[in-house]
Amino acid sequence: MKPSTSNIIEPILFFLALLILWEILVEVIKVPAFILPPPRDLWLAFIGKLPILGHHALITFIEAFGGFALSLLLGIGFAIAVVYSRHLNNTVYPLIVILYAMPKSAFAPLMVIWVGYGLFSKIAIAFLVAFFPVVVNTVVGLKEVEPELLELARINRGSQFDVFKKIRLPNSLPYMFAGIKVAIVLSVTGAIVAEFVAANEGLGYLVLQANYSLDTAFALVILLTLAVLSLGLFWLVEIVQRKLAPWSAAVRQVEGSF
Amino acid sequence: MPPLIVVDNVSRVFTSGARIVNALERISFEIQTGEFISIVGPSGCGKSTLLKIISGLLPASSGKVAVNGDLVINPLENVGMVFQAPVLLKWRSVLGNILLPVEFAKLDLPSHVEKARALIKLVGLEGFEEMYPHELSGGMQQRTSLCRALVTDPQLLLMDEPFGALDAMTRDELDLELLRLWEEKKKTVIFVTHSIQEAVFLSDHVFVMSARPGRLLEMLSMDLPRPRTLEMMSSPKFGEYTLKIRGLLSAGGGATEVIAGSTA
Repeated sequence: MKPSTSNIIEPILFFLALLILWEILVEVIKVPAFILPPPRDLWLAFIGKLPILGHHALITFIEAFGGFALSLLLGIGFAIAVVYSRHLNNTVYPLIVILYAMPKSAFAPLMVIWVGYGLFSKIAIAFLVAFFPVVVNTVVGLKEVEPELLELARINRGSQFDVFKKIRLPNSLPYMFAGIKVAIVLSVTGAIVAEFVAANEGLGYLVLQANYSLDTAFALVILLTLAVLSLGLFWLVEIVQRKLAPWSAAVRQVEGSF
Repeated sequence: MPPLIVVDNVSRVFTSGARIVNALERISFEIQTGEFISIVGPSGCGKSTLLKIISGLLPASSGKVAVNGDLVINPLENVGMVFQAPVLLKWRSVLGNILLPVEFAKLDLPSHVEKARALIKLVGLEGFEEMYPHELSGGMQQRTSLCRALVTDPQLLLMDEPFGALDAMTRDELDLELLRLWEEKKKTVIFVTHSIQEAVFLSDHVFVMSARPGRLLEMLSMDLPRPRTLEMMSSPKFGEYTLKIRGLLSAGGGATEVIAGSTA
C-alpha cells in the first residue's frame, strides 16, 4: 500500500473504531443519555434539527466572518501604519501590546453595554480576538527583511513604495497568513463566547439552550458543527495562501490568544 | 589615467554603549579602472565596512572616498553588489530576481530582459529562468545573485565574500566564471574574501588587512599571467604569494581566523 492512501484510510478507520467503541461502551456501561448519548442519538439529533442548526450556524458564521474580515482590513492596515510611522510605533503600538495580553473575550459583557445586544456586539468580540494575531504577525513580517535587500534598493534608487510593494509586503505574507490562520479560528471562538454572554441566536446561544433542556446529544452535535465551521474557514485561508503565496509553506507564527 | 577609486585616510569608529571600536583606521589606496582587487583579512577587520563606505551606504567617520573624481556622499549609482548570502526573493523566479534592480532604478524593462537572458546564458543558468530560488542549488543561487549585480551594467562590482558559503568545487567553478565575466565585461571588481588562495587566484592586487583596529597592512601585486587557470595554484609563484600573505597576517595578528585553503 502506498503511504498516501494509508494516510487517508488510517484516520478514517480510526474514527470508525472510535465511534463503534463509543456506541458499545455506552450500551454496556449503561451511561445515562444526558451524560453521554450514543453516536446514534447524535445522528438522529443532527437529522431532526438540521434546519434549526443551519439557521443558527449561519448567524454564528456571519458574526465570526464579519469580525474576521474586519480584523483583516484594520489589522493589516494598522500593521503597515505602525511599521511606517515612528509616532504610531511609539504611542499606539505599546497600547496594542497591553491589550494583546488581556483576555479579549472578557470584554464581551462590556461590549453589550457599548455596542448593544445584537449582531454587532458579537462581531466586535470576534474582531477583537482576531485583530491581534493579524497585527502582530504582519508587523514582524514587514520588519524582518534582509538588510542586503534594502541596500540593493538604496543603491538602485528604489522608491519607498517600491520597497514596500516588491520587498516588504510579499516578505510579510507568510507571517501574515500564520496570523490569519490563528485569527480565523479565534474569531469563531470569539463569536461563541459573545453569544454565551447575551444572545438569542447563534450556535453559542443554541448550545446553552440544549444544555438547559439536558439535550446532550444536540449539544454535542452543535460542538461538532462548530469544529466543521472552524476547519472549513481554516482550509479556506490555506487555499488562498497557496494561491497567493505558494512559497510560504512553513513560517513560525506569533501565537494568538482569546 | 586618473584612478577610478581613491580612498583617502578613511577611518570608521563604531560605538556600542561605552565601547568604542576602531573598525577602520586611516585606510588609503587607489584603484584603477578595470582592476581586480581582493581584500583579505581576519574576521572583524572591517572588510565589509570598507565596502559599504566605498559604495556610499555607510559614511566614514573621517577621511574621504572619491569615485570617478566625485566625492562619495550618497550611495553610488553605478555599482553592482554581491553578498555572502544570495539574498534572493523567494517569490520571484531567477529572471524576476535578476530584474529587481532594473525595476528599482526604473530602467527600460524589455531591453534589460534581453541583457538578463544574455547573462543567464553566460553563467550557465539557461533553462532555469523560470525556476524559483528554493529549486536551485547554492551555487546556482549565487550565480543568479551575480547576474542581478551585473544586469544594470555597473562599472564597479563590490563582492562581499560571495562564495564563502559554497563548497570548494563550486567555489573554484564560480571563481573561474567570475574571471571570465570580468575579462569579457571589463568591470572593476573589489572582492572581499577569507581565503588567501582565492584572493591570489583572482586578483591583480591583494590588499591585506589586520583586525582591531582594521588597518591596511600591505598592497601586493599578483604577477601571474592571465587568463588564470586552476593549475596555476600549484605554481611556485602562487605558493610564494600565499606564503607572503600568510606571513603578513600572522604578524598582523588574527591569522588563526584566516583559512589559507580554498576550502574555506
